[in-house]
Amino acid sequence: MIKLNGLRLSVGTFNLAVDSLKIRAGEVFAIIGPNGAGKTTLLNALALLNAPSAGTLEIMGRNALAPANKLFLRRAMSVVFSQPYLTNDTVYDNVALPLKLRGQKDAAAVDEALELFKISHLKDRNAKTLSQGESHRAVLARAFVTKPRLVLLDEPFAALDERVKAAVSRDLRRVLKTSGAAVVFVTQDQGGALTLCDTLGVLVNGRILQQGEPQDIFTRPVSAEVADFVGVETILPGKVDAKQDNLCSVEAGGHTLMVVSDCEAGDSVYVCIRPEDVSVSLSPDAGGRRNNFKSKVVSVAPWGLEYKVELNCGFALRAAVTKQLVDGLGLKEGREVYASFKATALHLIKRIL
Amino acid sequence: MDFIAEGFLKALHLIFSGNAEIFAIARLSLAVSLAATALAVLAGVPLGSWIAVKKFPLKKLLIALVNTGMGLPPVVAGLVVMLFLARSGPLGFLNWLYTPKGMIIAQFIIALPIITALSISAMQSVDPKFYQQVLTLGASDWQAIKVCLKEIRLTVLAAVIAGFGRLVAEVGAVMIVGGNIRHQTRMLTTATVMETQMGNFDMAIAIGLVLLTLGFIVNLALTLIQQNKVLAR
Repeated sequence: MIKLNGLRLSVGTFNLAVDSLKIRAGEVFAIIGPNGAGKTTLLNALALLNAPSAGTLEIMGRNALAPANKLFLRRAMSVVFSQPYLTNDTVYDNVALPLKLRGQKDAAAVDEALELFKISHLKDRNAKTLSQGESHRAVLARAFVTKPRLVLLDEPFAALDERVKAAVSRDLRRVLKTSGAAVVFVTQDQGGALTLCDTLGVLVNGRILQQGEPQDIFTRPVSAEVADFVGVETILPGKVDAKQDNLCSVEAGGHTLMVVSDCEAGDSVYVCIRPEDVSVSLSPDAGGRRNNFKSKVVSVAPWGLEYKVELNCGFALRAAVTKQLVDGLGLKEGREVYASFKATALHLIKRIL
Repeated sequence: MDFIAEGFLKALHLIFSGNAEIFAIARLSLAVSLAATALAVLAGVPLGSWIAVKKFPLKKLLIALVNTGMGLPPVVAGLVVMLFLARSGPLGFLNWLYTPKGMIIAQFIIALPIITALSISAMQSVDPKFYQQVLTLGASDWQAIKVCLKEIRLTVLAAVIAGFGRLVAEVGAVMIVGGNIRHQTRMLTTATVMETQMGNFDMAIAIGLVLLTLGFIVNLALTLIQQNKVLAR
């Protein structure tokens, strides 16, 4: 569906440099990355709105950088921005606009698209009078009315509150599953990305640092930057001292950590510890977990439905725990506890420098 | 000061007695200025929109030139058009000098930069992301411009009002190109100048009143269209 090579694009002082990107037909690909990473710039390049200064871009087997192919490819795809841009017409006319621009008239398709996003009852309303959630539904209906082969979504729900976002994204997921379109979407919301995508790319500073299956990226980030972004909260620089079979002993943070990894003895590494992999208990018995450290609680703070506990065990370590555990163990500042984690839960990133 | 009141009364009499010559002049004025405005809209709105949405070298310079054109003195426009249309000029074969066609050309040249400049700024008031969104819906450049123009039609209408207002009140260009020939190219403005110079103040005031009324009616019509659209939102 999309083949991209050596793409270079500058906007102001920002430089986007994506060496290679391949997206298959029907694949849902998420681009995640921090603010200012170039996610929108990349998406706009795929939407043929920004002309790259170098590289090749092929969409549906056609050279997407050739001006002659532009209109054809734009008519094969749909783009949804984070802000719902609607014209000062009825909802029906808005949804019918892409067909009108193609010189088509298909009332059945418009009705179907309205129905898909549950806004049939709004079709005679002026689009400027819709609520935020309704506007997003109208924009999505408009995007799918042409049955696009490729859908590009740029933080589609960034402007919505949580409750409305959940409802709209549920409907979007349902439509995406049945549409068979390839989807590229950009988001800062990792949770949202995980629920929608087949594959994931992490974009930082205009470069895709890692792409692949989400599970791989979240559990085995290739660099400290990726790890930091995907929610690995403890990243320790260290060195592999010895290796036996797959088990490395790593000097890091003043301790020796046992980690299952393919790194070799002598490698300089980052040790990545995800907060949900850390167990906290009062007894020194680690229950078979290879890493167990006496720690002091530095702080306890609510974090979503859970709590995040900051520990000091010679290095700063963060653990995600339930409310029951906080109450049961009486976790509070200064409390002495044991933090443990499995050798298989840790991940080592080889440091290049 | 009596002659002002007297002239005013005589003027009213001339108008309400249905002075055929005044009405013929009014009709010509209206036709020439409306035709020139229409042509300038047909050319200037697409041109201005194109300049606004496209990226090209020296774009700012071009916009500065167009903006300068808004202040183009009508006599200069008239002079240039006259030189082109004169028998020995490059377009002399058309025989349009001292005809309504020639006057329409001259007024078109005066209105074009006004309509173009106002269209540029109207189009630049459209959120660039809105324009991009329309492109991604499968619009060609011109289709996207059309969709955007529909969104800003009120502002565009304001440009039309401004252009027509300038033309119907303009005297320098039509005087030079038209020549103020009775029954042929005499316009309300040129007639006012002539009657004033001849001391026929009543006639001058009468024609002036017709001019004001005409401008008012056309602007009222355009404003009603515009404001109805505002209220319909």
